[in-house]
Amino acid sequence: MKRSILFVAFVVFVMGLAWSQPGHAADTIKVGIVDTYTGPATSFTQDTLDGFKLAVDKINAKGGVLGKKLEYTTRDEKFKPDIGLAMAKELVMKEKVDVLAGTINSGTALAVSDFAKKEKMPFFVFYSKSEKIIGEKGHKYVFNMNENTEMAGRAAAFALAKKPYVKYWIAGDDYEYGHAIAEAVWKNLQKQNPKVQKIGESWWKLGEADFTPYITQIMAAKPDFIIVATGGSGMVNFQKAAKATGLVQKIPFYQHTANELGTLLPQGKDAPEGVWGTSNYFFYYPETPANKAFADDFKKAYNRYPKASAFVGYMTAQFIAEGYKKAGKVNTEAFIKALEGMSLDSPVGPLAIRACDHQLELPTYWGITKKDPKYDFLISGDIQVIAPKDYMPTCQEVLSLRK
Amino acid sequence: MATGVLSGKGRIWWIVALVVLCLVPLVLPRFYVYLLSIILLYGLLAMSNNFPLGFGGIYQLHHAVFYGIGAYGTALVITKSGLSPWLAFLIGPLVATALSLVMGLICIRLSKLYFGMLQISLGSLVWAIVYRWYSFTGGDDGIHGISVPDIISSYKGAYYFTLVITGVCLYIMYRILKSPYGSALQGIRDNPVRSAMIGVNVKRHQLLALIIAGFFAGVAGTLFVVVDNTVFPDMMFWTLSMEVVIMCLLGGWLTFMGPMLGAAMIVLIRTFVSTYTVYWALVLGIIFMLVIFFLPNGVLGWIVGLFKGKTNLAEVKE
Amino acid sequence: MDAIGILNQAFVGLSRTVILFIVSSGLSLILGVLRIPNVAHGSLYMIGAFMAFTLSKLFGGGNLGFWMALIGAPCAVALISLAAERGIFQHLYEREHLMLILLTFAFSLVFGDLVKIIWGGEYKSVPVPYMFQGFVPLFGGLPFPLYNIFLLACGPIIAILLWLLVNKTKIGKIARAAAVDMEMVGAVGINVSWVFASVFVIGCSLAGLGGVLVAPTVSVTLGMDHTLIMEAFLIVIMGGLGNIWGALLGALIFGLTQSMGILVWPQFGIIFPYLAVVVVLLFRPTGLLKSTW
Repeated sequence: MKRSILFVAFVVFVMGLAWSQPGHAADTIKVGIVDTYTGPATSFTQDTLDGFKLAVDKINAKGGVLGKKLEYTTRDEKFKPDIGLAMAKELVMKEKVDVLAGTINSGTALAVSDFAKKEKMPFFVFYSKSEKIIGEKGHKYVFNMNENTEMAGRAAAFALAKKPYVKYWIAGDDYEYGHAIAEAVWKNLQKQNPKVQKIGESWWKLGEADFTPYITQIMAAKPDFIIVATGGSGMVNFQKAAKATGLVQKIPFYQHTANELGTLLPQGKDAPEGVWGTSNYFFYYPETPANKAFADDFKKAYNRYPKASAFVGYMTAQFIAEGYKKAGKVNTEAFIKALEGMSLDSPVGPLAIRACDHQLELPTYWGITKKDPKYDFLISGDIQVIAPKDYMPTCQEVLSLRK
Repeated sequence: MATGVLSGKGRIWWIVALVVLCLVPLVLPRFYVYLLSIILLYGLLAMSNNFPLGFGGIYQLHHAVFYGIGAYGTALVITKSGLSPWLAFLIGPLVATALSLVMGLICIRLSKLYFGMLQISLGSLVWAIVYRWYSFTGGDDGIHGISVPDIISSYKGAYYFTLVITGVCLYIMYRILKSPYGSALQGIRDNPVRSAMIGVNVKRHQLLALIIAGFFAGVAGTLFVVVDNTVFPDMMFWTLSMEVVIMCLLGGWLTFMGPMLGAAMIVLIRTFVSTYTVYWALVLGIIFMLVIFFLPNGVLGWIVGLFKGKTNLAEVKE
Repeated sequence: MDAIGILNQAFVGLSRTVILFIVSSGLSLILGVLRIPNVAHGSLYMIGAFMAFTLSKLFGGGNLGFWMALIGAPCAVALISLAAERGIFQHLYEREHLMLILLTFAFSLVFGDLVKIIWGGEYKSVPVPYMFQGFVPLFGGLPFPLYNIFLLACGPIIAILLWLLVNKTKIGKIARAAAVDMEMVGAVGINVSWVFASVFVIGCSLAGLGGVLVAPTVSVTLGMDHTLIMEAFLIVIMGGLGNIWGALLGALIFGLTQSMGILVWPQFGIIFPYLAVVVVLLFRPTGLLKSTW
């Protein structure tokens, strides 16, 4: 009997404690960020957050948004979608944020997107690459600020279609992301170059550390080219194995983000040369004053070079700020209308949020890994810029998925 | 054991607690209603885990499988078949019960840690299948936007539904524990050899405990679908099972309501600590260590122990 | 895939098995003698890998860096586990079994966040030492990395060293006796407390060693602890608690069923090791080889 009092008393006490925390003051605009800051994904998400922070500091230094300070608060979901969703709910219902942003985990992103739709809360996805976010499960409150698997696939296909390779092998992480990327590349490659043939496939478990058996299997089949659909830490692991087995010298292969800083930096000078990849941002290319300024600012603030995820975070903050400025008030519907079609100056030139599906139109850079005496890590050489219009799915294609 | 809870003065306090919980949505903001719903269903999950664990002495280490399967069962029926959601709410727990029967039959021949490990292996097998069967279960993306009947789709509606169902389930569990079967089960926990000698069919009693636990876990899973409208493969992953065991140990696994308290503590700590720091796992870990060191019977066990001198022995064990 | 391909697949998958064996043998020792299911074992493996990164960098990468890491990291892990054991564990041995599982789980949470606080969230990479870079052509001319050969050599060496330790040294004999009858060992006048500490520290160092050895082949990241711990537990249970050769056998079965499973049924390949464990436990519930319980 006493336990029931204690139980209720305990719960009420703690809730009272928590309730006494204020929501947010009316003179700020608050962004609630749910992301994974533990585990292997942290390498990317930390950069997204830092890029976001950099932009927020700049915006506030210039007087904020509509006279209000732009604030943000983060929650670590530890790559668990149920925790991520609970945290998003807490941010909306208790912290009373104006805007939600996050997360690298596609499951969480989809769940939160669904929640955002019900709550009519703008949700900016940075770094989850599922094409469902803007496609099948898209709606007017969600914005995708980075590329998705369909886009990456099309860009790669665009570049590969012009190459002389005919016999392809497809390999990758045996889970949704891996299959989605591989599908996207292959499907589009076939359309653009009907001569290509798939001579085999290999799929390994997510987090696989030992690729040697798969590599030997692939080398035995002697394809012209390999499409490797890895993500996260699999990128580095595969590249290490490719170097150790000499694969990289025998058969050319491609991975999405193979030539991106996040993949090449940890390996330092030991990363393999000659790997093809696509990336959506390099701090060293294009060598515009704006890009150099951004990279320098980032390096000064955080003592490292910005990765693509930093760029995405940086631009997201700016779009949020400019969206409210153009709307003239802190009103969601006006905010969304203002953002549709909005184009902002970025370190790599003007970028726009496409009105029909709320996808940020990013350039994709196709390139090959190469050593550079200026840096302790490899960079991307032979860079070919693929403009959004050349590879992004059309409005009609995307919207037709939303039935 | 477990006498007197519903008699005399005890009953009044339970009614008070129930009334308070009913009034909560009328006074507190939406977020707390949601939070309480989550606490209640995790509490139900933990209590169903404690059925074999604390009262049966069985190493139920992968309980989340039944929770997850119950949730997926409900979710898949709602999204893939044309059947009424209310029917789905029944099917989910039934699927969980069926699975616990099958897994129970396989595991029951082993005891202690071996039982636990075999259950983890089988459970991981089930997880792997759900995780991989992307075309049917949505794989690691999960299933979202599951529609539930309007009457329970609002935060308040979901909360009351959860409160009622949880309350009923807890009451049933309590009555089972107080029944002759419940006494026999605890007897088996304390001394399996003697129980066998007096003619108790040990294995059958244990198997029944597993099935009951599985059923209620499935109910908890269904409640999650009602409250959050989503399912993920993580719901049947071993790390969640470990968390649920910890809820039992933390709250006090030899008491009836201990696991509910443990669940409340973990959900609350996780929610509120994360507003201050990213390192909420570190905080949680340290709290666990402190509890293990100083409160070996769990928080509720300790609280009950405090009253030990004042009340008679029979009520203590509640 | 032809016979040579399958042979290659099997042979090459063995290097991963070595890592699994080393880590699992440590876990098996602790579980067999101390009866503690050490859920923090994966965290110690992760700490070993991160320490390897730091030490390797400290000594300039390359060969010296690697060997210093190989010696230094397990020592660091040993110190950490000694501190944990003397400071916390030794007071709690008489507690309820399940509470000990909870305690090690708490440690894994704490270690996990501590690693992030100390080393940050970025991927780290430990380079393969120059002496092991490159590969040799094997069956059918397919390349086999030199570093994997090194790993394959390490496996049997460690196994033999461990076997000698457990069976031929005094401390090993005492530990085995303590596993069977703790009270008796104490009654004979041996300081059981230090026996426990030694076994615990050795077991944890093995996890750290596994971490160092695996580091050049993967990216060293947060979350390494979770992937490994479940596999290690299943291997130990399959092989028999406290049995070193059991850990080896378990690791072999686990590694092989996984790599072969993926050839047979790619989509559900990860199921095969779990299936193997279930089958083994159904027929031999205490594990394949003799367990100390």
